[in-house]
Amino acid sequence: MSSSVSTTTSAFYERSSLDLNSLRAQMEQVQTQISSGNRLAASSDDPLTASRLRNLQRQDAIAKVDAGSANRATADLNLTDSAMTEMINTLQRTRELANQAATGTLSDQQRTSIGNELAELRNNLVSLANTRDSAGNALFGGDASANAYTVDPVTGAVGYVGSGSAGSLELGDGQSVKRSLTGPEFLNFKSGTATTDVFAVLKNVTDAISAGGPGAQGAANAALTSLDDAITSVSTGQTVVGTRLSWIDLNTERQTTMSEARAQDQSTLGATDIPSAYTRLQELATVLQASQASFTKISGLSLFNMMS
Amino acid sequence: MASDLLSIARSATRAARIQMDVTAQNIANAGTEGYVRRTVSTEEVVTPGYVANNRDVSLSGVRITGVSRNADAFRQAETRRTGADTTRAATEVTGLEDIQAALEDPGIFSAITGFETALTQLAQSPTDTPLRASVIAAAQTMTNSFNIASHQLDAVAKGQQGGAADGVAQVNTLSTELAKVNGRLSRMADASSDRTGLMDQRDMLLQKLSGYADIATSFASNGTVDVTLGGTSGAPLVTGNVAQAMGVTTASDGTIAFDVAGGAVTLSAGSLAGQQQVLLRVADVHGQLDELARTVIDTVNTAQGTGTALDGSGGGALLAGTDAGSMATATTDGAAIATAAASAPPGSRDTTNLTALRNAMIAADPAGTMDNLLYQTSATVQARTTTRDALKTISDAATTALSAQAGVDLDTEAINLTRFQQAFQASGRVMQVATNLFETILSIK
Repeated sequence: MSSSVSTTTSAFYERSSLDLNSLRAQMEQVQTQISSGNRLAASSDDPLTASRLRNLQRQDAIAKVDAGSANRATADLNLTDSAMTEMINTLQRTRELANQAATGTLSDQQRTSIGNELAELRNNLVSLANTRDSAGNALFGGDASANAYTVDPVTGAVGYVGSGSAGSLELGDGQSVKRSLTGPEFLNFKSGTATTDVFAVLKNVTDAISAGGPGAQGAANAALTSLDDAITSVSTGQTVVGTRLSWIDLNTERQTTMSEARAQDQSTLGATDIPSAYTRLQELATVLQASQASFTKISGLSLFNMMS
Repeated sequence: MASDLLSIARSATRAARIQMDVTAQNIANAGTEGYVRRTVSTEEVVTPGYVANNRDVSLSGVRITGVSRNADAFRQAETRRTGADTTRAATEVTGLEDIQAALEDPGIFSAITGFETALTQLAQSPTDTPLRASVIAAAQTMTNSFNIASHQLDAVAKGQQGGAADGVAQVNTLSTELAKVNGRLSRMADASSDRTGLMDQRDMLLQKLSGYADIATSFASNGTVDVTLGGTSGAPLVTGNVAQAMGVTTASDGTIAFDVAGGAVTLSAGSLAGQQQVLLRVADVHGQLDELARTVIDTVNTAQGTGTALDGSGGGALLAGTDAGSMATATTDGAAIATAAASAPPGSRDTTNLTALRNAMIAADPAGTMDNLLYQTSATVQARTTTRDALKTISDAATTALSAQAGVDLDTEAINLTRFQQAFQASGRVMQVATNLFETILSIK
C-alpha cells in the first residue's frame, strides 16, 4: 500500500494485513467477473460502458417488439394474399359463367341456373371480403373491428362499412408497413369512364341473366369487360401485397444483422474475457502465495526468539 | 563531599530498573492504539565543588530527568489532516455508492423501456385485451420501480442523517473529554509518566476528532491544546478546559448544516463533511428523479386526454401522483388506455392517439434522462473513488511515517532490554566491588 518503510512492529503487521487483504479483494473481484460473466459489477466500474450496455439492452427490447410486429404483419399480409387469390379464382369462374351466358344458344332456364350460381359466387366474394385477420378483426375493413362489408337485406346491395385506411405496423427505426388493404382499395375499380365495384358489377350481371329475355345475352356480354377489369384490379392489389411482404423480409434481415452487431457489442463491452481474467487470477494467486510465505518468514524473525 | 561507590551503583541500578520498566511498558503497548514509544532521559549527577573543596572528586551517579514521548507534532498534525480528508472521501464514496444502488437496482431504466415497448406492442392490435393488460402491468412495474428508488434514496438520506447526528454526538463527547484532559495537563508536573499518558490520551482524542471533522490545533507549552472546528479560522471547539457544544440541523430537503454554540460552521474534511456532501447529492438526485417521474406522468396523462378509450369514452389519467414516491397507476383497467383518436366509436382499432402517446414519450425521452442520471451518478462514484484512493495512499504514508517514528519496534526493545539488563548487572558488580573494598579495610588487623 505504502511506499515508505516502517520499522515498528504494529506498522509491519498492519501493512501486511492491508496488502494481503487488497490482494484477496482483487482476486475476489476477478472471481466475480468470471463466475457472473459480466465485466462490470456496478455502473461505477465503467460509467460510459455501463450506459452503452443499458442502451443496447433497450434497443434489444425494442427490436424484440419490432420483430413481433413484423411477424404479425407477415401473417396478416399472407392472409390477405390468400384471400385475394381466392377472390381471383371466384372472379374467373364468374367470367366463365358470364361468357357461357353470352352465347346465344342457351335457353332462359339455363340462364336462370347460371344466374343462381352467380348469386352464390357473389355471396362467396362477400364472405371473402369479410375475412378476419390474425387478431379476429376484419382483414379488409381498415380499423373496423367487425365486418368490412354488409349486405342490405332488402335490396341485396353490398356496402363498405370499414374505415378509410388499413392500420400500419412499425418495423423499427422509423420504418412501417400497412398490414393489409382496405376493400375499396382493390375491389373498387374504373371500368370505362365510370368507377364501380365488384359487387355492383356482379349484381347487375346476375340480375340481368336471372331476368332472362332478349336483354340477358347482351348484358352478359357487356359484363365481360367489367369482370376483366375487376380481375386486373385484384391482381394489382395482390402485387402490392407481395411487395409489402418482401419489404418486411428486407427489414427483418436488417434487424437480424443489427441484433447480431448488438450482441457482438454487448459481449465485447460487458462480458468477461475469460482467458485474460483467468491469467490475472493466476497471477494474483501467485503473488498472494508469495506474500503469505514471506509474511510468515518475516514475522517469525524476532530478536526475542534468539535470546534465552 | 566525596564520591560514594555504593550510592553511585545504587542510583545506576535504580536508573536501569526504570529504563527496563519503560522498555517493558513499550513492549506491553506495542499494539496499543495511540501509544507513543517512551524513552528515559538520564543525567549525570555531579556535586559542584566549593571554595574549600573544589579539588575534590565529587561524583554521585545518575538520575532520571524524565520520561519522554517520541512524538513529532508535525507528523501527528499531518496524520490528522490527511486522515480527515480520507474519511471525508471514503464517507462520500460509500454514500454515493448507496445512491447509485438506489437508482440502479430498482431497474427504472428497463422499466421505462418496458412501458414504451408495451405501448409499441399494443399498436399491433390495439383492441387486444391481453396487450392492454400488459401495458397496465408495465406501467405498474415502472411506477413501482420509481417508488422503490424514491424510498431507497430516502433511506440513504436517513442513514446519512443518523450518521451525522451520531458523529456530532461523538464530537461533543470527544471535545468534553479533551477539555478534561486539558484541565489535568495544566495541573500536572513536568515529564512525569502520568503526564505522558495524558498526552497520549490528548493525541488520541485529537486523532479521533479529526476523523469527524477538520480541526486546527494550537498547543501550549504545558501540553494543553486549543481546538477550532473547520480549519484555523473556524469556530473554537475546545479552549483550555472549556468545550463548546456542536449541533446539527436538518433542512426540509434533507440536507444538514453544522454549528458550534449556535454559530454556523463550514466543514471541509472528516466524516461529517462527507455526510453533508452525500446529503446534498441525495437531495439533488431525488429532485431529478421526482422531475423525471412528473415528466412521465404528465406526458402520459396529457396524451391520454386527447384520445378515446376502448369503450368510446374520453381518455382519463393513466398515472397518478406528483413525484417518484407517490407515482402510481390511476387505473387497473386496460380498456382505459386511449388508443383511438378523439370521438372515435367504441372498440375502434384506430391507433392515432396511441401513436401520439408513443411520440410524446419519445420526445420526452424519460429513458434518456434516466440513463443520463445513472451515468452522472456512476461517473461521480468513479471519480470520487479515484480521489479517495489517492487520499488514502497519502494518509497511509503519513500514518506509517508517524508510526515509524512514534511506534514500538520489538527488535529495538529487545536490544534495549539486554542493554539495561547488562547495565543493571554491571551496577550490581560495582556494589560487590564496594563491599569487597569495605571488607578489605575492615579486615586490616
